[in-house]
Amino acid sequence: MLNIENLTVSVDDKTILKGLTLDVPTGEVHAIMGPNGAGKSTLGYTLAGRSNYEVTAGSATLNGEDLLDKDVHERAAAGLYLSFQYPLEIPGVPALTFIRTALNAQRKLRGEDEMSAPEFLKTTREVAKSLKIDMDMLKRPLNVGFSGGEKKRMEVLQMALLKPKFLILDETDSGLDIDALKVVSEGVNALRAPDRGMLVITHYQRLLDHITPDRIHILVDGRIVHSGGPELAHELEANGYDQYLGEAA
Amino acid sequence: MAFDLFDPITWPTRRDEEWKYSDLARHLRITPRELEVSTDIAAPALTLEGFHVHNVFGADYSGLEAAVAASNGKLWLRHWARGRLDCVAGFQNKGRIDLKAGEHLTLFETYEGKGNYAVHSELELTLAEGARLERVVVMDEPETATSVRQSTIDTAPNAQYVQTVVSTGAAFQRFESHVAHAGHGAEVRMDGAYLLKNKTHFDYTTRLDHQHINGVTTQTIKGLVKDQAQVVFQGRILVQKGADGTDARMRHQALILNDGARVRAKPELEIYADDVQCAHGNTIGNLDENALFFCMSRGMDEATARGLLMQAFIVPVIEAIDDDHLRAAVLEFVEAKAGGFYGV
Repeated sequence: MLNIENLTVSVDDKTILKGLTLDVPTGEVHAIMGPNGAGKSTLGYTLAGRSNYEVTAGSATLNGEDLLDKDVHERAAAGLYLSFQYPLEIPGVPALTFIRTALNAQRKLRGEDEMSAPEFLKTTREVAKSLKIDMDMLKRPLNVGFSGGEKKRMEVLQMALLKPKFLILDETDSGLDIDALKVVSEGVNALRAPDRGMLVITHYQRLLDHITPDRIHILVDGRIVHSGGPELAHELEANGYDQYLGEAA
Repeated sequence: MAFDLFDPITWPTRRDEEWKYSDLARHLRITPRELEVSTDIAAPALTLEGFHVHNVFGADYSGLEAAVAASNGKLWLRHWARGRLDCVAGFQNKGRIDLKAGEHLTLFETYEGKGNYAVHSELELTLAEGARLERVVVMDEPETATSVRQSTIDTAPNAQYVQTVVSTGAAFQRFESHVAHAGHGAEVRMDGAYLLKNKTHFDYTTRLDHQHINGVTTQTIKGLVKDQAQVVFQGRILVQKGADGTDARMRHQALILNDGARVRAKPELEIYADDVQCAHGNTIGNLDENALFFCMSRGMDEATARGLLMQAFIVPVIEAIDDDHLRAAVLEFVEAKAGGFYGV
């Protein structure tokens, strides 16, 4: 599914990712853990195609399709979804308008028919209900004045409606209290599917108690230094990243 | 403020501080010809129900008082100027509306026209105690027009004056409001939104004079400029000695979409009272790249994302319009105009 090979990335002439190699097979959920500054968010932004993230070496493909030579929106249409650590507020654009514009833009790019307004509303209503999102909230400008939990629920709503093939969750747990974390995790778990992959980027093991990964990779100084099963999260929580910092050097 | 459109000696120039960035004399050069007003009017650019329509040809405000009386609180003043091709047709006149104590009026002003014309119109508005005037202005004039619209607004305690000006510019266009703020619970809101392209010029000048205690003022002005368009925003809030408890806030935000476009902003707070809350903020910049990336990461191509964000930038000003029908009509107008900005 997602295959990253020797990925090297610079931001403002500073090399952040230094030959990162990672494979996430179809249907699996992998987690990336690592200390601050390791390059976790850089990985997400690079895969999504943010402009000042310069790939100097390596490759990244999704289902065999080269991601790196596509524009940002083409990657989205190819099925990649990056959930932001801090979803942006878009004043003046109702959440419903935003999501429908995005959905139909993707469909158009894939050569599919646009989704009609009634069909979109019907689908949205069902998904919103499962995420405990009030329809009135969707008529308000996207994320403006929303709490951290509400913003993350909006992210999950968008994932559920846009139906991406591959999800990257960047620090989805930040800014969430226990209850919100539960709702968001349930929403994400509901999206686990045999034909969908996920990459969960996180600092803490807390999120991984709710979204159990198939594999955990430890990212230190721009490289994966260790990989293991879900039990690795607890080991890290107990011992910290210190033992891996030496390996990166 | 007074000048005579038909007497070049009285025309303001850049040497007048108030007209420094909008030099009328330099723009006009030749005296417009005072011609008979044509009542040949085109269909309006937007549709609106529930308003009593009164046409103002050139700057002819005759019959205004009767129109207000017949309006049932919702009046649409359709300003229309038909210019010429062989010369510049000139129109100049004054109008006046007085709101009695407690009276409410929603005044929708549209400014439209065709051909070469120069108009200088003045409106005098007075609000007695507790009166409320919501004034929504749409300036949709041709790129050949010269248009100077001045107004004075006199308020009284507990009155509410709300002004929203939407402009797409003209060859030379200035909308100027002078408000005497009565304080004592009176509230003033003077907002604006502009979408300028090509070689247009729009000047939004607001003057607020807080003369008494406990007056409230808010201003939000937002705009988009591209091509060689020029915008001038001059906002002055004067808080006179003794006008304690004044709460005045002014915000101006502009997006410049390419190198040739220009915005000159001159916010001024002049405060002579001690116990006041005043603030002004002014930002001029480009579209937020983070927001653009966010939209695109959800599948929107760059043009769609830019269009959405530009519209989103302007729309909050329009959404503050109180009258439901009017808000919907102006929103539709702005969305249609914002369309021309997508391709940047």
